[in-house]
Amino acid sequence: MIGRLLGISGWSLQKRESAAAYMYISPWIIGFFLFTLIPMAGSLYFSFTDYNIIDTPVWVGLKNYGDLIHDPSFWQSLKVTLTFAVLSLPATLVFGLFLAILLNQDIPFVKLWRTLYFLPSVLTGVAVVLLWVVIFNPQIGVINNALKLVGIKGPGWLHDPDWALVSLVIMSLWGVGQSMIIYLAGLQGVPTELYDAAKVDGANRPRRFFNITLPMMSPVIFYNLIIGLIATFQYFTQAYIASSSVGDEVGGPVRSTLFYNIYLYQSGFKFFEMGYASALAWVLFVIILVLTILVFKSSPMWVHYEGELRGRS
Amino acid sequence: MLILTKRQLKFATVLLVLALLVSPAIAQDPVTVTIFVGLGTGTSPEQFEPQMALQERFNADHDDIQIEFMIVPHDTSEDQLTTMIAGGNPPDLVGPNGISTIALFLDNWADITPFIEADQFDTSDFYPTSLGLNAYPHVNTGLPLGLFPSFIFYNVDLFDAEGVEYPPADFMDASWTYDVVRERAMLLTLDADGNNAASADFDADNIVQWGYDDSWTSAREKIAPWGSPRVGSPTNEDYTVAIANNEHWVQGLQWYSDGIHVDRFIPGIDGVAAYEAAGIGTPLDGGLIAMFHSHTWYLTELGFDGIDFDVEIAPVPFNPAGTRVATMHADNFTIPDSSANKEAAWEVMKWLTSPEQIIDVCLIYGCIPSRISVADDFRAELEARFPDINYDVIFESINYLDDPNHESWTPQWGRMEDAMALAESKVITGENTDAQAVLDEANATIQALLDEYWASQ
Repeated sequence: MIGRLLGISGWSLQKRESAAAYMYISPWIIGFFLFTLIPMAGSLYFSFTDYNIIDTPVWVGLKNYGDLIHDPSFWQSLKVTLTFAVLSLPATLVFGLFLAILLNQDIPFVKLWRTLYFLPSVLTGVAVVLLWVVIFNPQIGVINNALKLVGIKGPGWLHDPDWALVSLVIMSLWGVGQSMIIYLAGLQGVPTELYDAAKVDGANRPRRFFNITLPMMSPVIFYNLIIGLIATFQYFTQAYIASSSVGDEVGGPVRSTLFYNIYLYQSGFKFFEMGYASALAWVLFVIILVLTILVFKSSPMWVHYEGELRGRS
Repeated sequence: MLILTKRQLKFATVLLVLALLVSPAIAQDPVTVTIFVGLGTGTSPEQFEPQMALQERFNADHDDIQIEFMIVPHDTSEDQLTTMIAGGNPPDLVGPNGISTIALFLDNWADITPFIEADQFDTSDFYPTSLGLNAYPHVNTGLPLGLFPSFIFYNVDLFDAEGVEYPPADFMDASWTYDVVRERAMLLTLDADGNNAASADFDADNIVQWGYDDSWTSAREKIAPWGSPRVGSPTNEDYTVAIANNEHWVQGLQWYSDGIHVDRFIPGIDGVAAYEAAGIGTPLDGGLIAMFHSHTWYLTELGFDGIDFDVEIAPVPFNPAGTRVATMHADNFTIPDSSANKEAAWEVMKWLTSPEQIIDVCLIYGCIPSRISVADDFRAELEARFPDINYDVIFESINYLDDPNHESWTPQWGRMEDAMALAESKVITGENTDAQAVLDEANATIQALLDEYWASQ
């Protein structure tokens, strides 16, 4: 009846199934076009214009991209973001794997421990950042008070330009539960026969870890690395809230937490230079794309898939 | 059948034409003026009801114009206003706006000069100094609504405990200078053992009380009182030359830098964290700050009911140039240039700032009315709310406001403010305590911004 109404009653089963499939995914496709692809195309156009949001954009060609090269804030934001990536990404990957290995052991109340370590990653957002701001408070914060007990004068953390970024790296470990749970799933998929065979061959614990666990986990590490890389370059909320909570200078003190996305936001919505902000967004897109391609290109050297035959076509 | 004479026919025709001409006017709906609130004050829950009452009062008194308050969250108000203007759906009136907000959107405000001239509107009742706060060579953004003069709040008990002389309330007392502030502030700065900052035994790593603080002011506000001929502006009069490294600003910023890092009477990053931890949100509340530079709006911020010490106010000191500058915050309402109802919005602006309404409006928004004629009535209202405050200091401070203001517009205003904030941040954190060096750097940045701006014009 419906098929007749839609004029598809004469279609083959395959054709009708294809039509149904497209119909089911059409909300996503329409959403993708409306809210992702078209805005992206718009921002690409704006990146070649002088546009203050309110007046009509004026075509300026590559000027915005040229201005980036001479803009110290652009370089500072890039430096901050890259430094954060270099510090935070390995820390998160290693700590996540370490926790997953611990929680993969046969220990009492293991489900409770897994829940407890995963819980912080569920609690995110402004409230958690504000909680960390108190934890890092040089006077009443729990960290400095703990250091005081052993006779160490703690740093100014978020108040200190030399420590503010380190504080955010420590803060980033709060969400390690997400990668931990993925590692845990990966660990449980490693065939136990491999460990048994290695034990029979006399492999000790470190050798089993480096020769079995790590290679078998490499696809999961690869996945977490890609996701973490993209997330690190889009880091915004935590730095924005933390820096504005301890002073008036967003990205401060002394631009020590001026992440790329904070500068992008400032350019668009504080300085009303939407064309320039669009150029920043496209440069960020290219940076993430290049780094992701590099990671993908390097993956044959260190990512091992079960059953994969190297060197044979 | 009714037969009309020729004369009756003519008369009926005239009546019909008149009726046709007049009827659209009679049937016309009143113009609705949307008032966008959120860029400044006006978004607190306790301010909602009074604003609705104001709306009802206006609407009851006017047939041709109706007003509608559109109150949006402060945090997203800039984005929302921008979107509305960009989308061709601007509000008709925006406010209350501070001077910085007006500077941020300067190109988007209508010039009210033609309205003033057309109405021959009398502005003589406004404080003369307030009229210039939002007037630029090419645009007068609005009638002054309210003023927030600044002065020194001081904790009387801390002065008494150390036997230090109070700051003078007399505006003619020329002995009240920044040097004297420094001397008294050092006597009021104490370490954990009770040694003051002027003592040889003073432990700078263990400070528990500070003599002076103005951490709630912006970079330009900290140095605007120091006697620069251009007061709070980092550029010359025609905005072509950066002067942020002028000797007066350097002197002011060095005083501030030394106050934190050498003389220790101003809290640095550790100090601010300490008193924030001790207080309930504002510097004076914790009882660790002896003198605090702020504005009238701080009267409502300070938890008078929750503190167990006396607070008084005193004028800001004289600068080394021998002048006194009390930095001013000010509010007004502005009309977006793209509003379709500018004439009606002008009528509403006049009503809000009229002598009959301005006290009520300022009581909602916490400002001092900018009309001289209502000063006594408003003072009586304030005295009822905050007794035991020296109101002469508040009203006299208006005569010493900073013009050009420390929030005033410059080309590329946002980036200029960013450059000044960076200079301030370097000093506060100790990254660079040399005021000359940080202001030289800021000046070079601002000059580049000016050059770029004028090249694009």
